[in-house]
Amino acid sequence: MRKKGRAVPEWLNSPIWSAPPPAPAPPDPYGADLAPPPPPKPPPPAAAPPVPPPPSYEQAVREGGRRGDEEEEGAGAVLRAHLLADFKAALSKKEVNMGELRRLACLGVPDGGAGVRPFVWKLLLGYLPTDRVLWAYELEKKRSQYSAYKEEFLLNPSEKLRRIEETKMSRKKELSIERTGFLPRLKVTNEEHPLSSGKSSLWNQYFQESEILEQIDRDVKRTHPDMPFFSSKSNQFNSYQESLRRILIIFSKLNPSIRYVQGMNEVLAPLFFVFKNDPDPSSSAAAEADTYFCFVELLSGFRDNYCKHLDNSSVGIRSTLSKLSQLLKRHDEELWRHMEVTTKVYPQYYAFRWITLLLTMEFSFNVCIHIWDAILGDPEGPPDTLMRICCAMLILVRKRLLAGDFTSNIQLLQHYPATNIDHLLHIANRLRGTVAS
Amino acid sequence: MVLVLALGDLHIPHRAPDLPAKFKSMLVPGKIQHIICTGNLCIKEVHDYLKSLCPDLHITRGEYDEDARYPETKTLTIGQFKLGLCHGHQVVPWGDLDSLAMLQRQLDVDILVTGHTHQFKAYKHEGGVVINPGSATGAYSSITYDVNPSFVLMDIDGLRVVVYVYELIDGEVKVDKIDFKKTATTTMHA
Repeated sequence: MRKKGRAVPEWLNSPIWSAPPPAPAPPDPYGADLAPPPPPKPPPPAAAPPVPPPPSYEQAVREGGRRGDEEEEGAGAVLRAHLLADFKAALSKKEVNMGELRRLACLGVPDGGAGVRPFVWKLLLGYLPTDRVLWAYELEKKRSQYSAYKEEFLLNPSEKLRRIEETKMSRKKELSIERTGFLPRLKVTNEEHPLSSGKSSLWNQYFQESEILEQIDRDVKRTHPDMPFFSSKSNQFNSYQESLRRILIIFSKLNPSIRYVQGMNEVLAPLFFVFKNDPDPSSSAAAEADTYFCFVELLSGFRDNYCKHLDNSSVGIRSTLSKLSQLLKRHDEELWRHMEVTTKVYPQYYAFRWITLLLTMEFSFNVCIHIWDAILGDPEGPPDTLMRICCAMLILVRKRLLAGDFTSNIQLLQHYPATNIDHLLHIANRLRGTVAS
Repeated sequence: MVLVLALGDLHIPHRAPDLPAKFKSMLVPGKIQHIICTGNLCIKEVHDYLKSLCPDLHITRGEYDEDARYPETKTLTIGQFKLGLCHGHQVVPWGDLDSLAMLQRQLDVDILVTGHTHQFKAYKHEGGVVINPGSATGAYSSITYDVNPSFVLMDIDGLRVVVYVYELIDGEVKVDKIDFKKTATTTMHA
């Protein structure tokens, strides 16, 4: 067997990586314009029998919204539907076997009405403990904690001060109400007035944070404007935008080191979408609280990428990008050389968005959720898995990249073409175990 | 939570050169949503300065104002409260609470803000509340020389108003507050 190094590995040279991936033979409702024979897959996962995709999948896809010319993974969907039974079995055990769950998640969580995905994601992110018995208790605890956060962080200074006074006033008797005359003047304690510049003043803190709040507001309004789920008029009560807003505000207050960075709304959106669309009504009602904690968990692996001070350090975004570069070099030196040396297409031009937004802007919403199944499920952890998937994205379009110059490569990578996700994840799988060096 | 700044009787440049430095350092743009000014600024530069603090500015005409286009009285609604604004030199006797109450009933407002006496006052009667923010520069008035610079910031939150009174006494800014509520009927409760 030829060693790696200058030569491109055998499997990479296979013709499947060059043409746009063909739609497989089973009936595919999303366009069968490409119909070459199914490609020879190296170690094949379970073969997909020709069965029409279940209706709930279509519903989920319609709800999710799709971008232009997308070739949906018809066979993938069918495969996932067949895994539904496996998932249900894994979830119904008293003590969930995480290894088994991860393995299944990497194959793809089934969509649709079974409500499997919210549970799976909550388990994978560590929000729910593996022991079923503890679920109710944990959920209760976390949800009430979130309510406490809301109380503490979302009131403006007027309301806060009023609450403080009301607790004091309830001890004194109510003074007579109808009075004419000069109004009594009360002392202002602790510099608690709106124009105060005191550090401990609630007002001062409020005004200092108002800039971040405005930024959060703007970004939330722009999240997925094409999806009715996120539009501000979608329901008459609190729209879901308000939920996103609250989560981001509380996160920024509890994490002063990174506060809010533009793009966090995009990372939050799929989480909230999945949890809110949980068919179980009590879970769906508490989606906001669940989303908050899962968001914190998810971001914990990526925190350093968002911190401006760490940009140039060994853990910040720049080093993450150079790790991607190294990974590419190790697996596909020819492509690496072409990108970095010949055309000078450095990772920061395209991969910045891939990494900080966890690929939410590169693919359509639904596809992105499927990729997240793999990212969350992989035992190597989200940061390394994301790295491998980014590398796989590059390798998948290598023929086009090798043929292109700076401009066309940048264009291609910044508007990544629709691909067959199973192929992508399969390549990412092949790169396993090689990120940490 | 709406912040409304009420001030007036600055008499710049005739009787005072500028706002006290300590007041100026506190008044920064971005915090206040409305400014109501009783009058006697007197010149356009002061108008521009106030406009830079907050774009929503309401002024009524004082007898020394150079701009003759300000109205004599003004009413506006902020939140649940109706506010009335008038300089006060039109109401004779100056500063007389009963006469001001008449004006308040005429304008049909919950809070009447007037000036001219250069003395801070906050008075409640059946018809509502009368607030006099005093003179923001401490300019002398026709009644007295001994004037402490003062202005008022109102925090209107639903049916409740907290009035913060800022006074410059012996070179130090002192802040007091006054709290009152409005019930569903038009009467005011302290």
